[in-house]
Amino acid sequence: MKDLLIHSGEVVHKVFVYGDTLPARIIVERDGRVDVVVLIMPGVSEDLKLDVELVGEGAEANIYGAYVCGADERVKIAVDMHHKVPHCNSRQLFKGVAGGSSRVDFYGKIIVAQDAQRTEAYQENHNILLSDNAKVDTKPQLEIYADDVKCSHGATIGRLNEEEQFYMRSRGITLEDAKVLQMISFIAPVLENIPEADREQLSVQFEDAIRNIVHNS
Amino acid sequence: MSKDKEILEGLTEKEYEHGFVTDVEQEFIPKGLNEDIIRLISAKKEEPEWMLEFRLEAFRRWQKMTLPTWAHLDIPEIDFQDIIYYAAPKKAEDRPKEIDPELEKTFDKLGIPLHERAALAGVAVDAVFDSVSVTTTFRSALAEKGIIFCSFSEAVREHPDLVRKYLASVVPVGDNFYAALNSAVFSDGSFVYIPKGVRCPMELSSYFRINAAGTGQFERTLIVADEGSFVSYMEGCTAPMRDENQLHAAVVEIIVEKDAEVKYSTVQNWYPGDAEGRGGIFNFVTKRGICKGSGSHLSWTQVETGSAITWKYPSTILKGDNSSSEFYSVAVTNNFQQADTGTKMIHIGRNTRSKIVSKGISAGRSQNSYRGLVKMLPGADNARNFSQCDSLLIGDKCGAHTFPYIENANKSAVVEHEATTSKISEEQLFYCNQRGIGPEEAVGLIVNGYAREVLSKLPMEFAVEAQKLLQVSLEGSVG
Repeated sequence: MKDLLIHSGEVVHKVFVYGDTLPARIIVERDGRVDVVVLIMPGVSEDLKLDVELVGEGAEANIYGAYVCGADERVKIAVDMHHKVPHCNSRQLFKGVAGGSSRVDFYGKIIVAQDAQRTEAYQENHNILLSDNAKVDTKPQLEIYADDVKCSHGATIGRLNEEEQFYMRSRGITLEDAKVLQMISFIAPVLENIPEADREQLSVQFEDAIRNIVHNS
Repeated sequence: MSKDKEILEGLTEKEYEHGFVTDVEQEFIPKGLNEDIIRLISAKKEEPEWMLEFRLEAFRRWQKMTLPTWAHLDIPEIDFQDIIYYAAPKKAEDRPKEIDPELEKTFDKLGIPLHERAALAGVAVDAVFDSVSVTTTFRSALAEKGIIFCSFSEAVREHPDLVRKYLASVVPVGDNFYAALNSAVFSDGSFVYIPKGVRCPMELSSYFRINAAGTGQFERTLIVADEGSFVSYMEGCTAPMRDENQLHAAVVEIIVEKDAEVKYSTVQNWYPGDAEGRGGIFNFVTKRGICKGSGSHLSWTQVETGSAITWKYPSTILKGDNSSSEFYSVAVTNNFQQADTGTKMIHIGRNTRSKIVSKGISAGRSQNSYRGLVKMLPGADNARNFSQCDSLLIGDKCGAHTFPYIENANKSAVVEHEATTSKISEEQLFYCNQRGIGPEEAVGLIVNGYAREVLSKLPMEFAVEAQKLLQVSLEGSVG
């Protein structure tokens, strides 16, 4: 695993799917920007560690992740977001579905150094639990040593909304289709960030995977 | 301009108003901790054999335990052999019928009504001075309803069955390092029992004060609310100003039976140390309640402004179906204070509900952390949790941290967590200044507004005190 260095003013957009190896560290220099999308498909167990360091003023990092687990996968995600200098922005969005007897562990920390003023850092992790044998643990953390910052994180673990299902079923959509639609729209905010060239193909893969899980449950 | 400055300086120098020492004759036991000391404490309190056994077992466990180090705190080494584990006002012949006038003055200064003056306030008070409970007011009025409210040692003597049934049923002796230490050496505390279907007619309150130097305070509170009962319980604490660190390790256990409701409020104002970070209380407390029966309810409200170091996680085990719990907290740290505080909500029963609202305020060079656990066990069908943790930073040398742990193993359970960190904006301050509100006052105003959601949950008597405290705690943090 090598470091991924984003040079001054450079803009990099990367998508990582199953087999790909993630860089051990992503370092973003002055005015650089990195967009990373991580996709974890059913049947894939992953232990994913990501270390992002914003080392130059005006650096920006956007990390998106989606995971769909339907069997006995073990998915572990750990993200450390270091804001080392002032005026940097970061955004993280992780969304996933856990069914079967899968196990999802999410850990994400935003660390803002003492003089990293004017930092804006946001993190979100949302999960849907599909089965009683599945388990999701999430640990979003904030460690902030500067005062002029805007930081927030949000985390939820929930279920598919039954009212939405009722709405769709009353309009002739089967329960199975309704669930698939719900999950696709749940994951969509992550998939939207895939560069256009690959988006269509990867979204279809996700849709098929979700349909399979719903069908088999 | 210079006059303004003088006023500001005057305010900032006004540090901690409860920092006086009371001159009463006290008896101490020798420093240090070993089985003989525990036997001595037990003998001094004329305890039955089972109580001594309980202490000794806890001590043996404690010896094998190590200090917890996971908290985001920088704790100086504590020499547990350098602490006096028991200090009591000397027993005059006529006590407890009459209180030592010096003592009474102390509690007077603290604004604690010990005598029937309390009738006006409508609050029954159990005051704990160093290691022993000094007096408990309103006993007879409460006894009429069958409510037991007395010092812990008295409960051991007079209601041994109740104490044995519930003691350590929520916080086992070996639960953690400080809980084990407390179980071994605890000297007094309060005991509350509300019988079936009784609504406690007044607020019950305990007041803890550390007075003697070189001592530690280890009190134990046990609250039992039987079926369908209700009680609101308040706790307050202060200590003199000293440049040594004193240890306070308490254990609070609350048992809430079917359809009962307990409201537990704390205003913690132990001496926080001076502006250079010298002295102050180490507040390492284990508080836990269990919603045992269905439909039971436990609510925690805390205002934490004191202590050099706070390590405290009031928790609820939601065992009964349809039970619910709330946690409202305001934690303020200034100067060199450190706080690692939060809550645990363990959902076991069906349709259990919990809500967490935590507001952290850090100023000066302090570190303020929220740490909380929300756990949905496989049986917690339709359980629900919502957590909101906000941090406010005043100054660029302090830190605010949020460490939530969320675990869900039930597909119908829903957990939501939200946290934000921000500072008081220039615009808000400017707006106030423009209208003739000075910087200090403006910060007080904004902070009080920010903490309102929690303060409004406090019983009346406490809400006023808490608001003043917030203001005092933050004095000198601006400019």
